[in-house]
Amino acid sequence: MNNVQPPLLEGKDLKKTYQLGKSSVPVLLGASLIVNKGDWLTILGSSGSGKSTVLHLLGGLDRPDANGGMVLFNGESVWDKTNTQINIYRNHEIGFVFQFYHLLPELSVLENTLLPAMIGGSGSCESNARERGESLLDQFGLGHRLAHRPRELSGGERQRVAIARALINNPSILLADEPTGNLDEETGNDILDVISSLHQNGLTVVLVTHNNDISSRGDGIVHLRHGQIESPASMA
Amino acid sequence: MYQTLLTTRYLTSRVIPLIAVAAVALCVALVIVVVSVMSGFLNMVQSSGRTLMGDVIITYGISGIPHYEDLISHFQNDPSVLAATPIVDGWGLLRMPYPDRDAKQSETVQVWGIEPESFAKVTSFDKSLQWKTPTANQRDWLLLDAVTANQEELRANLDDETWNQLVVIVNGASSSMNYEKSEVWNEVKKLLDEELWTLLIEHDERLVHPDAILNQGLALRRGGQDGIVSGLHVSEGNERQKDGSYQVIRNDYWWLPRYDGTLTMLPIDSQGGVIEPESIIMPFVNEFQSGVFMIDESRVFVPISVTQKLLHLDSAEIVDVNDPTVIVGIDPPKATSILVRAREGVHADELQVRIRQLYDEFIDAMPSDTIVLPPTLGDPGLTIHTWEEQQRRFTGPVEKERELMRTLFSIVYFVVAALILSIFWSIVFEKTRDIGILRSIGASRASIVWIFLQYSLVIGIVGSLLGLFFGWCITKNINAIHSAMGSPPLWLAIGVFILAIAVALYTCTRIRFGQILPIVLGVLGIVVFGSIGALILYVRHIGGLVIWDASVYYFSIIPNEIDWPSSIVTVCGAIVFCLLGAVIPAAKAADTDPVKALRHE
Repeated sequence: MNNVQPPLLEGKDLKKTYQLGKSSVPVLLGASLIVNKGDWLTILGSSGSGKSTVLHLLGGLDRPDANGGMVLFNGESVWDKTNTQINIYRNHEIGFVFQFYHLLPELSVLENTLLPAMIGGSGSCESNARERGESLLDQFGLGHRLAHRPRELSGGERQRVAIARALINNPSILLADEPTGNLDEETGNDILDVISSLHQNGLTVVLVTHNNDISSRGDGIVHLRHGQIESPASMA
Repeated sequence: MYQTLLTTRYLTSRVIPLIAVAAVALCVALVIVVVSVMSGFLNMVQSSGRTLMGDVIITYGISGIPHYEDLISHFQNDPSVLAATPIVDGWGLLRMPYPDRDAKQSETVQVWGIEPESFAKVTSFDKSLQWKTPTANQRDWLLLDAVTANQEELRANLDDETWNQLVVIVNGASSSMNYEKSEVWNEVKKLLDEELWTLLIEHDERLVHPDAILNQGLALRRGGQDGIVSGLHVSEGNERQKDGSYQVIRNDYWWLPRYDGTLTMLPIDSQGGVIEPESIIMPFVNEFQSGVFMIDESRVFVPISVTQKLLHLDSAEIVDVNDPTVIVGIDPPKATSILVRAREGVHADELQVRIRQLYDEFIDAMPSDTIVLPPTLGDPGLTIHTWEEQQRRFTGPVEKERELMRTLFSIVYFVVAALILSIFWSIVFEKTRDIGILRSIGASRASIVWIFLQYSLVIGIVGSLLGLFFGWCITKNINAIHSAMGSPPLWLAIGVFILAIAVALYTCTRIRFGQILPIVLGVLGIVVFGSIGALILYVRHIGGLVIWDASVYYFSIIPNEIDWPSSIVTVCGAIVFCLLGAVIPAAKAADTDPVKALRHE
């Protein structure tokens, strides 16, 4: 009996078309990629190549077209799940980091970090989540800014809060969409260092960027051009 | 839990929820105040009808109902009847004592001839009398009148010096238009010995017993003479003050109970023809205020015997047609209406049915040889109406107005609903990206909707309760507010101008920073406060403002009772609209793809 483990995350022949008014804009024309546990896959592509869309499809934020391929997580189709299961998938298995941080301005740094735990967790986990949140923020050099609001932080600090938020539920994969795109080079490198150290500790990372320099950080690179993967997405 | 955290933060970290609370509160307060005043107005119209004319009214036009005293006794023997009273009503001309010159003013008046004692049992006549005791000013005028009336007696008993002093006091007081408070009473008393003083004040019972004026009003008699009680607005001498009280012009000089009036009525014969007008001079014994302007401006009460005489409805001999010297019978006195008051717990409609039965019984029981019979129930001239039916001509237009107001207010409700909806729509629209963030980290659609449901519930409940409180405060104090608006104090204008100056100074300090918003707000503040101050000065300049005009709205005071059922409906409606206003856009936003929501600008 063949007992081969399926890849952690797999995108199969992903197709996505956006409707802009009356015209249809195909963004993905059949992209396939495989992410195994512990990998750091960098998706490299220019603006408009569809790299963010790949990330959204993998993360369960967006749905492929009808007959537009599938996303498999541990061999199970994500989009065959119920809405509740997809919410749990986003909350427990995926940690998203966005280019523009997407923190809630009304919440403090700690509250923003704890938000996924509060959404997915129960009351009994509250103190554990708080400890983990404080520990993560401390680890990212934000231990002294727990009560601050996002507007009181620099771009780099905000992105570190976003990473802490993405990690609070111990996700299986970190999906980072141009995490340094809104930062200066030095701060961007700091953020990449943080992600690198997380990867070295076993976290699976899929990072989207248009920057060739960043792509050198990962274990593997796929090039996305005009909605198609140009180099194989195989990872050793 | 995170929903509550987010709701709390959304409520406390922004100004917009406060604006939403204020908008909801203002809308709710507006609706409550207007609906309460309108409902109170209608209630007053309806309840005043019953207060003024009892529950059931039997009317037989100009000819009148004979044997009315027996009929009333028959009614009063029935357990459903509390009291009944006869009325002889008609229109007349009342010659007023003013102006001072010979050509006096006449008023067209609706004359009600009443039996004061039984009339007070059926209506609230006793409570509506205006003058319970004369004021000090009025008492002084009565004293001066007594001096004038007894001048010969006084001249004969006073030495020249005292007499001259008395003349100076009397002339000084009565010739002065500005006569306000003087020591007339004490000065005259000082001049006269005990005997003369007693002679003087005994000239008028009201000088000895100040409350005699009330009893004279209740009895419609003074000094053995029939008297008139006129509606407060019949006399132009009674001026309504801004605070709703009444003052007699020229410092009580034209206080009606000092004078006589000449009442003229036109009697009508049995064929409807007009006979020679009849007049009678009678003293004004008091004035009344029912609170219904339309009644107070034209109605006068006199003893029923007076109107019967003036309208030829009193007792008369019936002579033989062929030989006028032969008396064949007596035509009994007649009443044009009988007012009946129901006992506690008996509705006007029930009483109406019972009165019809009693009336029928009364006619059947009349002796067969009765010469003048009351009209039968089948007589088209006879009507037995409830007070509601009788007042239909008066309440009909008001009811139409109420329907109009209801229609208009249903539009106002929709405006309020649209306002609340638009505020929440913009709040939720602004939060679309937050919704995308929450969805991207695993929040369900329902939990997103619940956040805004809580948010709107708090705004709706707080805003509505505040609105209810403001509405209650405004409605309860609406007459005081109206009076204050009518004659705003000078200190208010000064205070508002000081505020305008303070805003102007603050704005000047902000100009150097080059920011536009503080300047815009500052200019707005200056314009608003300056305009309010100028408006106050203008209102003061034109002598005040009367928005609630008694001659238009029938009543001299603004109804100030909260309409609780409508208020509760309004509060609940506002909360529901808040929920709808938030939930619909929140549900729409929650249904949006997280990716689109995240891209929302």
